[in-house]
Amino acid sequence: MAAKVKQLPSRGGTPAEKVYLIEIFKGMGITLRHFLRNLWDNSNLYVRHYPEVQPNIPAHWRGRHRLLTHSDGTPKCVACFMCQTNCPANCIMIKAGERTDGITEKMPVSFTIDLAECIYCGYCVEACPEDAIRMDTGIYAFTSSNREEMKIEMDEMLSLKGGYTEEEYQKGLEDE
Amino acid sequence: MTEMIKLFVNGEEVEVESGKNLIDALEKVGIEIPHFCYHPALGADGNCRMCLVGIEEGRPPVVPACKTPAKEGMKVLLDADHIKKIQHDVMELEFINHPTDCPICDQAGECKLQDYYMKYEGTESRMRVPQVKKRKVQDFGGGVIHDQERCVACGRCVRFLRQITKTGELGLVNRGDDCRVEFFPGRPINNRYGLNVVDLCPVGALTSADFRFKQRAWFLKRAESICHGCSKGCNIMVDHNKEKYEDDIIYRIRPRHNEQVNGWFMCDAGRMTYKSENDNRLEECTLAGTVRPLTDILADAQSRIEKASKALFLVSPSASLEQLVAVQALAEKTGAAVSAFSDGYIVKDDGDDFLIKDDKAANRTGVDLLSIAKSRTHFDNMAKEADVFINFDNDLSRSLSEEQIGKLFKDTWVLNAATHPGHLGTAMAGKAGASVALRSWSEYHGVVVNCDGIAQKFVGGVMKNIERPDIVEIAAGLGSPATGAAAAWALVQKKIPALAEFGSFLELPAEGVNLTDNEAGK
Repeated sequence: MAAKVKQLPSRGGTPAEKVYLIEIFKGMGITLRHFLRNLWDNSNLYVRHYPEVQPNIPAHWRGRHRLLTHSDGTPKCVACFMCQTNCPANCIMIKAGERTDGITEKMPVSFTIDLAECIYCGYCVEACPEDAIRMDTGIYAFTSSNREEMKIEMDEMLSLKGGYTEEEYQKGLEDE
Repeated sequence: MTEMIKLFVNGEEVEVESGKNLIDALEKVGIEIPHFCYHPALGADGNCRMCLVGIEEGRPPVVPACKTPAKEGMKVLLDADHIKKIQHDVMELEFINHPTDCPICDQAGECKLQDYYMKYEGTESRMRVPQVKKRKVQDFGGGVIHDQERCVACGRCVRFLRQITKTGELGLVNRGDDCRVEFFPGRPINNRYGLNVVDLCPVGALTSADFRFKQRAWFLKRAESICHGCSKGCNIMVDHNKEKYEDDIIYRIRPRHNEQVNGWFMCDAGRMTYKSENDNRLEECTLAGTVRPLTDILADAQSRIEKASKALFLVSPSASLEQLVAVQALAEKTGAAVSAFSDGYIVKDDGDDFLIKDDKAANRTGVDLLSIAKSRTHFDNMAKEADVFINFDNDLSRSLSEEQIGKLFKDTWVLNAATHPGHLGTAMAGKAGASVALRSWSEYHGVVVNCDGIAQKFVGGVMKNIERPDIVEIAAGLGSPATGAAAAWALVQKKIPALAEFGSFLELPAEGVNLTDNEAGK
């Protein structure tokens, strides 16, 4: 199928536009109109008052990663390295070790995600055969002045809670 | 030259070697017949039924390929519907009680069950009853861990221990879905080749305790190398990987097939030699106790060799042919003596009649081919005369005690080029005039000659974070006419005419060049 092409009229060719000055005053007029409107009433402002007003994050939004746990609090992750294998940014670093709690044989000893390198593509979540990693925390803001602090470790990811109920999350997956 | 015969596979004519069974004969021409229990080294057993193929106009019409010799004019059916159904059904049977715990299984990525499922089965399980539970992590001894649930009862491990090592620790007990591999209580695997069962196991039932959970198979880079653990020169695959922000390290060593040398196997001690390649390596080059760049050390050593009345170079009997000739050429140019004294590399009565040899040096035959002296008296005499002594990675502490080394080189300026610390004993470590950290065998390329006179090439794939020089580079830096690896190889070819017909060392055939009829045998 051929792409639809919409021709926009070329602007800026008339003598009045070529003088520039008239256009500048037109623009200043628009700025002044917005200024006066918002001065009396800023309820219909085009920008959000961030961070006082937080955005509404939908359930299928890919935010900070978390590692899920079984109902008894033990990690679901079995260190199969599927997420690390599939990660296109190569930002997941896992070390595997023996698991002794009887649930299975293998678990991660360390599980690090470098958020400075992560591109939030969600392949790790899709690749996981154990539903052990999700990006449903709803946390989207994460800054640091230091590269080392951008790496999050296993304990931190295990302690995070999901931002949505299970139904909302599953529905979010369908919407996606 | 083996005789060739013609037969038909799915109606197409192929030419194969005679005297082989169908699996081996067709594998050579790139046609795969799936199988679990058959292994070329262990012979046909015929218990897995995965290799059943159809024979047109034959009696019986369906035969196990592992037990059927390839015959002239045979009409083999591989893609007929009834053969496909057999393969599918055998796979379905194998999966009835398989735990499918691929995420935690070390075999994943090199597992026959995974490969064959994708190729021959690919359907959902029809099982609606609970699976039979068996023991999961069972220590079989000898560094082997067994998982009964993953086992397909092919019996390769049992046959290996009965036919090859003749120790027979394992056996198949019970029948049906209770069939499992067991050892007699109190008598686990206890022989020097036990870890070969891990490679033989087509599935993840037998895994190595040493490699357990260290890496997934698909991350590993492979380098075709030769084991430097003894003079047998077993062909090996060095599996290494450089993880992010870390050093390139070796995770395991596996045997590589070479009928002329080691067959399909290698010893357990050889597998563990990777540990010394990773750990406790020398890292710095020092001159008079301070860390200095290599060029300074070489310049200093070169001027000392020129001024010396006699210099002595000690080479390692594990060094490659290229390294040996590079040092030898340097000695010829400077009038120095070369010795390969290494009596301590020979461990009396350690060898056996299979693969392990007494001589723990990888290239002693090469030393002899290049006529490098290795006697104790020659070394002692030269050491007394010499006022400059350069050690090229010979672990002298194996052959002489610390006092003996200290006495020999009391007034001698010593340059110790080594891969690991302690080659001249701990007492000499502080006294050495200079030391250089060398590349080890997993990091350089070369050719070594094994105890049977077979010259074999090896490729070093490991790239360490710390760049270390090779012995050839050091010899070149000291003024050797062999200015690089290519020049050294040209010198090798001049001294060993049997190797002259090959271009670069990489053109040596994979199975090695037998020099016995030419040089090594005389």
